[in-house]
Amino acid sequence: MAFIKRKWTAREADEWTKEDWIAIVLSPLSYIFITMGLAMALFLLPLGFILLALGIIFAAIMFWVINPKLDVISSDYEKKQKKYLDELEEIQRWEE
Amino acid sequence: MVHFAALDYFWVISYLILMIGAGAIFYRLGKRSGSDFFLAGRGLPWWIPATSNFATHTATDTPMWFSSWVYASGLRGMWYSLFAGWCAISAWVSTRIFRRSLASTQAEWQTLRFSGLGSELMRGWMAGWQVALSMFIAGWVGIAMGNVCNYAFGWPLWWGLVIFSSLCCFYVIAAGFWGVVIADVQQGITMFIMAVIVSIWAAIAAGGPSAIVDKLHAMGKGWMLNPFHITGITSGDFPLLWLLTMVAVPFLGGFGMATHFDWFVEAQRIQSAKNVKDASYSIWWGTLVVLVRNSIWAIAVLAFFVLVPNLKDQSDYQLAWFRVGFEILPVGMVGFFFAAIIAIHISSIGSILNLGSMYATRDLYHHYINPKASEKKIVLVGRIMTVVVLLGSFFFGLMIGQDITKWLLFALWLMVAGTWLPNILQVIWWRFNAWGYLSAWVANLGVCWLVVWILPAYGVIPDLPDYIQFWLLIFLVALIYIPVTFLTKPDDMDRLVRVYAQTRPIGFWGPVRREAERRGLIQTIDELDKKAAQETKKEE
Repeated sequence: MAFIKRKWTAREADEWTKEDWIAIVLSPLSYIFITMGLAMALFLLPLGFILLALGIIFAAIMFWVINPKLDVISSDYEKKQKKYLDELEEIQRWEE
Repeated sequence: MVHFAALDYFWVISYLILMIGAGAIFYRLGKRSGSDFFLAGRGLPWWIPATSNFATHTATDTPMWFSSWVYASGLRGMWYSLFAGWCAISAWVSTRIFRRSLASTQAEWQTLRFSGLGSELMRGWMAGWQVALSMFIAGWVGIAMGNVCNYAFGWPLWWGLVIFSSLCCFYVIAAGFWGVVIADVQQGITMFIMAVIVSIWAAIAAGGPSAIVDKLHAMGKGWMLNPFHITGITSGDFPLLWLLTMVAVPFLGGFGMATHFDWFVEAQRIQSAKNVKDASYSIWWGTLVVLVRNSIWAIAVLAFFVLVPNLKDQSDYQLAWFRVGFEILPVGMVGFFFAAIIAIHISSIGSILNLGSMYATRDLYHHYINPKASEKKIVLVGRIMTVVVLLGSFFFGLMIGQDITKWLLFALWLMVAGTWLPNILQVIWWRFNAWGYLSAWVANLGVCWLVVWILPAYGVIPDLPDYIQFWLLIFLVALIYIPVTFLTKPDDMDRLVRVYAQTRPIGFWGPVRREAERRGLIQTIDELDKKAAQETKKEE
């Protein structure tokens, strides 16, 4: 079995797994590296280009890891959404 | 004083017509239902709420405090603006959970997550707080526009505050959230283009990027180019502990909901996205553009520093970005620059007016006053509340006056300190109940004013650095809500099981999960493992 799971069933995708944690770790790193890297790169500082490249690579890996799981969560949840929205309206319009 | 040529007037008038046109065009969509007026029908593709996030978080005050921090602290000043980083983790955690709840507002989430009287009190509290906060933020952004117009045209402060916010109110009343997001898309594009143009012009005026670097080194200010330049572990004006606080607090806050003021704006966009994936993407990409914008602004501010290095008064250098635009751009472009400022201004004002109105209408009027209100009535009340929030913003705006940045640090960091951890706990810990959460909110309101303003003023405690105040507030407020949580009953298990099965929160939900499994609402871990093993076998 591959380290990164790319095929998900709806039930499996509902669980919090290592793929989520990889996204959770890479996401802040890519934000920091892209922000600081771009600012420094605009002044043509070499470290800026390195940080910027790292930030983009981290973001690309993050999306590669999390995207298949999000696809499955989304499509499965959309099937239940109507029922949940009706329940929500009942809570909102609580008066008998 | 700035003088306009005919071309400048053309840009500004065209832009205003375009804005008001958005209200007229989407009028029919906005009035269909409450869901349309406040959430654009819950069907937007990710890039629309993403652009709207970016446009909303680029307000008239934003270039002011950003200029202020970078002019005074160099690139390390960018860390202050990293509070937007909470979206990094939120996009994959709390955004997913909140989108699945389908709650229209963060206040509505309270009656889903918690149960009983406590949940209703929490909903009412949060709705009232959000209405007041929307007035405050709209006033704060509005008075920033007053300051810009005062600098550019010599207008009295209140002119800039009242004229542009009122114009914006027109299309928000007409088209609701439809008008807001569609206007945000073209406002976002306009302001991003202008950010790039101003930075290019500023860099050229200062001799180019390499010349800026050389001049900073010659002035003995080379450290301004290093965002990692700290002054010690705890000493100096930029200690390591402050930097770590600025990184840890927003990012970890992404596990929770409402950990930051911006969360309430994002929450509306999360629910307007057409599905969970689009909601997550809208938060992640919208924030990335905010951060990229900051990087682009930084070169304009440091170019201004090289050109005008000796400004000592914050009220002078906080206008750095605006001065670059008004003083360096050629005739004809200044009008486009001012049109972009109007875009920056009304994209935020529009969002905040609609947001405040949503809490007043959906959570106060509809939930507590008239639960059987028709869709037509809800839209009507939404429109009236939009005007109420606008009027409230004038009051707060005039109160703030010219102290934009001073208020910001207090509002962005310290007023949310005591509720930072409870906002996370409500998502990750099943046992945290409505009473604990409510007590944290109430206690925070009192304790933050005491620690930041009142006790230092009377010499009871010294003036503490911001990051120490932050952690102190977290500790002091925890002394109140943790005992309250354990001394009161857990929330009703039926409610917890329901919210768990629907939203699948992360963290410590063991007893609730087991109950949900027992009721057959979700599969057990063993069943999932067995299924995964069977699939692996099949593949082999």
